Amino acid sequence: MTPPTAVTAPTVDHVHVSVPQSSHAPHGSTPGRGIGHFLSTYVFSKDHKVIGLQFLFSTLLWFLIGGLLALAVRWQVAWPWSDVPVLGKLFAQEGGQMAPEFYTMLFTMHATVMIFLVIIPILAGAFGNFLIPLMIGADDMAFPTLNMLSYWFMWPAFAAFGASFFVEGGAAAGGWTSYPPLSTNVASAPGSGWGQTLWLIGLTFVGVSSMLGSVNYMTTIILMRAPGMTMFRLPMTIWAMFITAVLQAFALPVLTAAGFMQLSDRMLGTGFFSPEGLIINNATPGAGGGQPLLWQHLFWFYSHPAVYIMILPAMGMVSDILTTFARKPLFGYRPMVYSVAGIAGLGFIVWGHHMFMSGMNPALGITFMVSTMMIALPSAVKTFNWLGTIWGGRIQFTTAMLFALSFVSMFIIGGLSGIFMAATPVDIFIHDTYFIVAHFHYVLFAGTAMGVWAGIYYWFPKMFGRTMNEFWGKVHFFLTFIFMNGTFFTMHILGAVGFPRRLADAYHYETFHHLQPMNAFMTWCAIGMVATQIIFAINFFWSMFYGPVAGRNPWNANTLEWSAPSPPGHGNFDFQPVVYRGPYEYSVPGCEKDHLMQTDPPNQAAAAAAAALAAH
Amino acid sequence: MSVADRYSFSCQGRRQVRQPLAAAVLAVVALLAVGCGRTPPAAFRLNMVEATKQRLTPEQERQVGTILLAMFGTPDDPVALPETGLDEAKLRLAAGPVRSDIVGRKNGLYREHCVHCHGITGDGMGPTAAFLNPYPRDYRPGVYKFKSTERADKPTHADLVRTLHNGIAGTSMPSFALLSAVQVDALTEYVKYLSIRGETELALMRAFFELDDEDEGKLPESKEFLFAEILEPIAERWQSAAEARIEAPEMPTDIDLAASIAKGRELFYGDKANCVKCHGVTGLGDGQANDYDDWNKAIVEVTKELDSGRVKLAETSTRGMSADEAAEHRAQVAWVERFGKVLDGDALRPRTIPPRNLRMGIYRGGRRPLDLYYRIHAGINGAPMPAAKGTVDPEDIWHIVNYVLSLPYELDGELGADRMMVAKDRL
Amino acid sequence: MRNRLAGIFWALLFLAVPIFGVAVFAVAPAIDVWLPKDVSEHGVRIDELFYFILGLTGIVFVGTELVLFWSIWKYDAAANDRPATYIHGSHTLEVVWTIIPAALLLFLAIYQMNTWADVKMRRPNMPPTVEVIARQFEWRLRYPGPDGELGTADDLHLVNDLHLPIDEDVLIQLKSMDVLHSFFLPNVRIKQDAVPGMKIPVWFKATESGVFDIVCAELCGWGHYKMKGRVTFEPRPQFEAWLSRKYAEQQATQPSPESTTPDSGDSLAAN
Repeated sequence: MTPPTAVTAPTVDHVHVSVPQSSHAPHGSTPGRGIGHFLSTYVFSKDHKVIGLQFLFSTLLWFLIGGLLALAVRWQVAWPWSDVPVLGKLFAQEGGQMAPEFYTMLFTMHATVMIFLVIIPILAGAFGNFLIPLMIGADDMAFPTLNMLSYWFMWPAFAAFGASFFVEGGAAAGGWTSYPPLSTNVASAPGSGWGQTLWLIGLTFVGVSSMLGSVNYMTTIILMRAPGMTMFRLPMTIWAMFITAVLQAFALPVLTAAGFMQLSDRMLGTGFFSPEGLIINNATPGAGGGQPLLWQHLFWFYSHPAVYIMILPAMGMVSDILTTFARKPLFGYRPMVYSVAGIAGLGFIVWGHHMFMSGMNPALGITFMVSTMMIALPSAVKTFNWLGTIWGGRIQFTTAMLFALSFVSMFIIGGLSGIFMAATPVDIFIHDTYFIVAHFHYVLFAGTAMGVWAGIYYWFPKMFGRTMNEFWGKVHFFLTFIFMNGTFFTMHILGAVGFPRRLADAYHYETFHHLQPMNAFMTWCAIGMVATQIIFAINFFWSMFYGPVAGRNPWNANTLEWSAPSPPGHGNFDFQPVVYRGPYEYSVPGCEKDHLMQTDPPNQAAAAAAAALAAH
Repeated sequence: MSVADRYSFSCQGRRQVRQPLAAAVLAVVALLAVGCGRTPPAAFRLNMVEATKQRLTPEQERQVGTILLAMFGTPDDPVALPETGLDEAKLRLAAGPVRSDIVGRKNGLYREHCVHCHGITGDGMGPTAAFLNPYPRDYRPGVYKFKSTERADKPTHADLVRTLHNGIAGTSMPSFALLSAVQVDALTEYVKYLSIRGETELALMRAFFELDDEDEGKLPESKEFLFAEILEPIAERWQSAAEARIEAPEMPTDIDLAASIAKGRELFYGDKANCVKCHGVTGLGDGQANDYDDWNKAIVEVTKELDSGRVKLAETSTRGMSADEAAEHRAQVAWVERFGKVLDGDALRPRTIPPRNLRMGIYRGGRRPLDLYYRIHAGINGAPMPAAKGTVDPEDIWHIVNYVLSLPYELDGELGADRMMVAKDRL
Repeated sequence: MRNRLAGIFWALLFLAVPIFGVAVFAVAPAIDVWLPKDVSEHGVRIDELFYFILGLTGIVFVGTELVLFWSIWKYDAAANDRPATYIHGSHTLEVVWTIIPAALLLFLAIYQMNTWADVKMRRPNMPPTVEVIARQFEWRLRYPGPDGELGTADDLHLVNDLHLPIDEDVLIQLKSMDVLHSFFLPNVRIKQDAVPGMKIPVWFKATESGVFDIVCAELCGWGHYKMKGRVTFEPRPQFEAWLSRKYAEQQATQPSPESTTPDSGDSLAAN
């Protein structure tokens, strides 16, 4: 058993020391500065906190759009060919009944928006940006201009994806996985025209933005930690952000290359992914000599690490939130760190489990099965450590804690359901059914999205200087929890029946004839779930202006960001942070307070001096 | 000024806002309400291309719509007048919105299976249509390609059932063999209904041209006119389709298959049948490629006329014209503009129809020798494929059929399963 | 007291997770919303593996969720004043809960390899029974015909209506004419993507007669949902009789006598 984190004198083994803010250019709204100053302070800001909030607002807006697209999907699945609310006006001729290609576009764009415009940017862009310098004791990121660019490179992506809905043929309709030849051949689907091209362009911009961010985060975390902040005193949020950044850096280039190859197939007439002689919809065959499976390998080589990019930061944030509200150190800090690294490392050798049925050499089904089974292990270790963290704690039921607890509870479901698909013979039956849809919605929505809400309720005071309303937060949590499970849990059952995904109408098959009532129930729950978010939205915006003012540390947490003002000014800290402790020193025996800040020095005199300094 | 004040989202001047939460909720609810509201029920669309071509006024278009509504009903509520010979019970199975599976899948068959390609009016312009190659059939002219009757005649009920049952290979028309016979029958009946309705609409629109001045631009709404002159001739042709069935003789038995194929080859390349003119000397369908089927041809010809008309009108100056003539000139210009807009919105972009590549082994109208006999004998109604009837003897047609059926496999040697893939192997 | 009520409420909410989770999986088979009927030889092993994993994950699920519930119930700050236990971890526990899951997972992986190999790697040495060519949006079928060879002039061409004999191995040659599709027979526990440019063998043995669905399981365009086929398993004599009947229809030089009224659809020749 490791002894309590030793309190050591700060070592100067790293390069950078946090620069006192007096060296920054003074701010102040001097009259006559005009539009340029406004633009560079609030629009093209290089302050990581502003950039983080820009990411937050943009991604929350796209979250709403993605959710509405999901509701349209759910409507069709529950009541196929019936008059669709709002969207039915587009099909007034047919009495509001949507066209089948419209449905394929709906689920394609729902997934695309949620993955590339919501989850990835909100974790790395919003939380990563806002929290990394604060939690490591830096005054900003290593490359502030690059940081600003990483946000603004999202806007061409927003424009491309948004515009794709209005071009001829509509938005991309080949699934978010965009498998060729369906996506490369213009004749194979209406959305495979301009829609798909814009989709690829949008994807490239998201990739650039992510890459810029990842370089920034890695550099900042390695080089700009405050004195005394060793790597193993970093909170789990930072470890997760760091490893996520490494994942992005190594995996993303493959997707970018594949995206360019697909663009080239579509626009330059190459045939990377098309065999020769394909006659699709009686169009003239294009160049050939390629293989559809090549895209799948390249795509999943990125997209599997991507799913870990989409959960590791949430896992890190949940670790921090659980410790704060259990008033207890994290159980097994080093195993947790190694598990995160293990998930990331193993994440590079499991991509073939998306391709078990694809026609690739079946021997690979054996190798990928083994690696996929093994990747369940570090996640299991993390789950046990979270349980160990809560056990024996003093739990405070704040909204953030509730969301964090539900992350653990729901992640257990999501993680365990993955094991079914890792088993290749079982995957023969459940591949491309609602079983996988259940699995990824549990890890991404019931997992990551819950983690995101936990993070928002938790760090809102730091971001805006006010706390969100706790009562409505708990109402939001409760209703979301209930409706979410109502929507997604029975998808496991649907998958067991073999109910396929991406079907506009499955009920004309004898096998799936009787599943309509269950789907109708799930759609009602989905409608309830999206409606519940109105409460969150109102709470969020109202609290920003009228919520109770929060001090520096409303939760009595101990990580570095809670030593800074709420919200922090430019330069973050109004003193030079020096780190003496690890991140989870709660309920230390022999202490009157139940937590020790990372900056709390080891003896009384120094503590008094530090307190005096901080209380100016 | 403290650091906390330097960077803050909080408002400095406090304002008391009463019930901010309630106001926010109301705003959101209002926004939601704007988007809701049921879509009006599905309705048939007027044949705008024909209406504009016939220069109908809005009142005349309305009159046509009213007459059609009375005679044929709506997509949710079809009417089968006894004169049409249609079975209204079958129409009701096909009509109406698609029922959810809880209630049972008896109604709404057309909207479940056909509407997104063939359109609610059967005009071949559903939401998916513009994307498909070839375009889905427009039922309104009442012309059908793949049937067992002589070229200019209607298909029999069984012909249409066969098309639904087998689909049309090589196109987006799927096979509905997995539906029950009752359902296929109901859909076939509904297709005939849409066809008869479409032909009636065309006849009504064209009848305006025959009106005297005393009719004041309105069609007589007497039973005598509407039934005897408009509807009955149309329905009669449908009902007598079976009488026009082609009688194919038995395939000649006094000649072995290889000899028959050789004879067929001679005829294929010969002057009488002259198949190579369109189908090409290699049978790849590369003989000529610039023709249109009737549905596309109509749009092409109208477009050509409009374009030349537009040019002429632009060249004509109104100087020196009387007031009446100038007004007529302006009306012409307006009509040309309007027709251009109608063609943009209400017609699919014309596509040429290539002659069939006979090496693929894909036969749209069916692959039985009998099906090929029908195609060669009567040609293909609506397409440039001519009828060989009268030019080629019935027995000789069988030889051509045998030759065509051998084309996908015509090689110097035998083809086994372990040989390299050739074009026909991609079927 | 009010605070304690809140704690109880939340703990019970989290207790509902394992309760309802298990309940849903218990009720579903009882109301016949569960794995479809399996008529294949290897399907039994796949279903067994499914149940094994379900049992294993079920135990882990219930166990961990109960631990979560118990921690929330017992360690509510409003219920006790005792400070939290100041502990950073337990090396023994870490070793235990790393080794045991690792062993279980590895066992699970190795246990399944044989079934996978049988279904996907150990192809029977026989000529194809039928060639299935997936196309937007139908299943085109090609039987070898009287000469027993695929790719000759006497092949039988059909659409969507697949018949296969029972109690013997069948080998299907799977191709695609245009985009990716996937040949999914739920009742035989078979799924294989049809890849354009590839000829992929699929084999199994059906043990019972019956009529079942063929579903396309890879997004192939707007008509993916309606790419429905039907597979009929029947004893070899009936299968051969059906083949002859269909072949005769394909060779028809005269109209069928029933061509004026539709019946079960079998008399109308398919392509």
